[in-house]
Amino acid sequence: MRLKDSLKISFSTLRTNKMRSALTMLGIIIGVGSVIIMMSLGKGAQSLILGQIQSMGSNIVYIEPGSFDPKGGSSAFMGTALEEMTIKTLKLKDVEAIEKDPLVDMAYPMVYGIARAIYQNRDEKVTFIGITPEAYIIDDWHTINGRDISEDEVKATARVATLGYKIAKDLFEEEDPIGKTIRIKKTNFKVIGVMEERGMEMFQTFDEYVYIPVTTAQKLLLGIDHLNAITVRAVSDEAVAPLTESIRLILRETHNIYNPEGDLSKDDFKAMNQVEAANMVSQVTGILTAFLSSIAAIALLVGGIGIMNIMLVSVTERTREIGLRKAVGARNKDILNQFLIESVTLTLLGGIIGFLGGTLFSLLISIILSKVLNTNWSFVLPFGAVVLAFGVATVIGLVFGIYPARKASKLNPIEALRHE
Amino acid sequence: MIEVKELRKEYLDDSVKTVALDGVSFNIEQGEFVAIMGPSGSGKSTLMHIMGFLDRPSAGVYKFENQSIEELNDDQLAYIRNEKLGFVFQFFNLLPRTTVFDNVKLPLIYTKIYEDEKRKRVLKAIESVGLSHRLRHYSNQLSGGEQQRVAIARAIVNNPAIIFADEPTGNLDSKSGQQIMEILQDLNTAGHTIILVTHELYTSEMAKRLIKIRDGQIISDELIKERKLAKNGLIK
Repeated sequence: MRLKDSLKISFSTLRTNKMRSALTMLGIIIGVGSVIIMMSLGKGAQSLILGQIQSMGSNIVYIEPGSFDPKGGSSAFMGTALEEMTIKTLKLKDVEAIEKDPLVDMAYPMVYGIARAIYQNRDEKVTFIGITPEAYIIDDWHTINGRDISEDEVKATARVATLGYKIAKDLFEEEDPIGKTIRIKKTNFKVIGVMEERGMEMFQTFDEYVYIPVTTAQKLLLGIDHLNAITVRAVSDEAVAPLTESIRLILRETHNIYNPEGDLSKDDFKAMNQVEAANMVSQVTGILTAFLSSIAAIALLVGGIGIMNIMLVSVTERTREIGLRKAVGARNKDILNQFLIESVTLTLLGGIIGFLGGTLFSLLISIILSKVLNTNWSFVLPFGAVVLAFGVATVIGLVFGIYPARKASKLNPIEALRHE
Repeated sequence: MIEVKELRKEYLDDSVKTVALDGVSFNIEQGEFVAIMGPSGSGKSTLMHIMGFLDRPSAGVYKFENQSIEELNDDQLAYIRNEKLGFVFQFFNLLPRTTVFDNVKLPLIYTKIYEDEKRKRVLKAIESVGLSHRLRHYSNQLSGGEQQRVAIARAIVNNPAIIFADEPTGNLDSKSGQQIMEILQDLNTAGHTIILVTHELYTSEMAKRLIKIRDGQIISDELIKERKLAKNGLIK
């Protein structure tokens, strides 16, 4: 019996029972669709975050308060925000200690807060960031109008600010901001520079930032003496890995942490470089994707049971047909193949529709994320997902189709012909 | 062509033994038109099923073209049914929602011949039962007589050595029944061996030889002296 004949029979059966076939396929459509969506979005999120980490620079070590969760996983993220706020051990003297390391090119400390910036009757929400002049170089972000904050102004706790492009536009519109005074938290700041336009990076909207001297931010705006982060630039890409280790040793000493085994969960800081951060993100998003996909796989299993159910009904309904086919010369094998092809046709068709639907949905989400929410999200369709969708659909058709098909092929032709 | 010797068939239903065939013997030669007649439960259908390779005997010999059924596996039986036999059933057994063409083609999808040749044979078979104008009609759009003619076309499409007809007129009005019997007689004249199973005397007398069967045993086996021709009309 030729495949073409089997397919013809399958499609004519599907056409005859349109509603039933569609409902049966729905299980597979939803299952395959959600696996595709999970995998596509998971990969999309991963490549977005990895892309952001790439933009961090391959010669950068980034230090934050907090500690690595020894177990890794998603709880590392949950802990971070809280630790960043409560751990107050990262200080300016740490920056001085780190800068003494010969592998360090330069470093800058950072504190930040959110406040309203006021100019005349205009009022904008801003993120003010306390930095030292090295920030302009390390972040590769420059003033296009006016000048950078100087070392002397940091030392003097000067009330000066350089504005992000959007903030400057919003507060001053057509006016030249240089030399004007803005108010942040009841403190007057003299605008000395406006930064070039930058857009979104690392989930940050640089253009809404206001840079002020780190000392000014600590003492006058926040009333603290600790830091939120330190960014260190190594002398070369190769120096990053040894520098990361070296920084850990330095900070353990300045923070009085006894940790000879180098157990990262005992530290009160996190020193990360691009490679380590990328590994961590890949691991976490990988776990998340696998977890979500396995939930979607349950939908596939349920869909498969639906297929088996409907195929059993079909075998019973078509008992006479099976008897007749045997009487005119169909072998058991022909009947088995015919019913297997029918169930695979059902699942594969469901797989194709689910694949298209899932792809379309993922595309839609990526368009919303990139165009509407203005992120660098890009649509990814992992090749593995394509193979999985069609492979799994076929396998489900075979696995859940084999029992009904065997039942059909084993029917006694005489009894089948007598069946009412 | 067919050799039946001491054929027995027993069924076991819930440990109750039923004897359907109790030592039946006869031969059938090529070109014969044999009617097997008996009341329901006489074993005539069982006999036809065994001769049609749809069932196996419990004991005894059944040889078709000198091949014994014992030596053949299920796939070989299927092959013989496909290549050498044609079946016409009381309830037509056409595939619903399927065209006349595809219904007649059914046995050929299990053979390995070229598609062009299949098409030719199907058209020829449909023409020989006079339904060429119904080619693309669905089987359920036809009358009972037409449906049975489609079934006959299906039975002859593989040019079989034997055609088995199991109460082919049992579900038809007398005019349609007459047409069917006429076609069967014509097929016999054209050289096909025909085995007709029936419980009606008037159809059995259209055959050339009549085997009467009762309680699983042959009670008579004789040639019909005054054979009735279907085209002269059915007299009940």
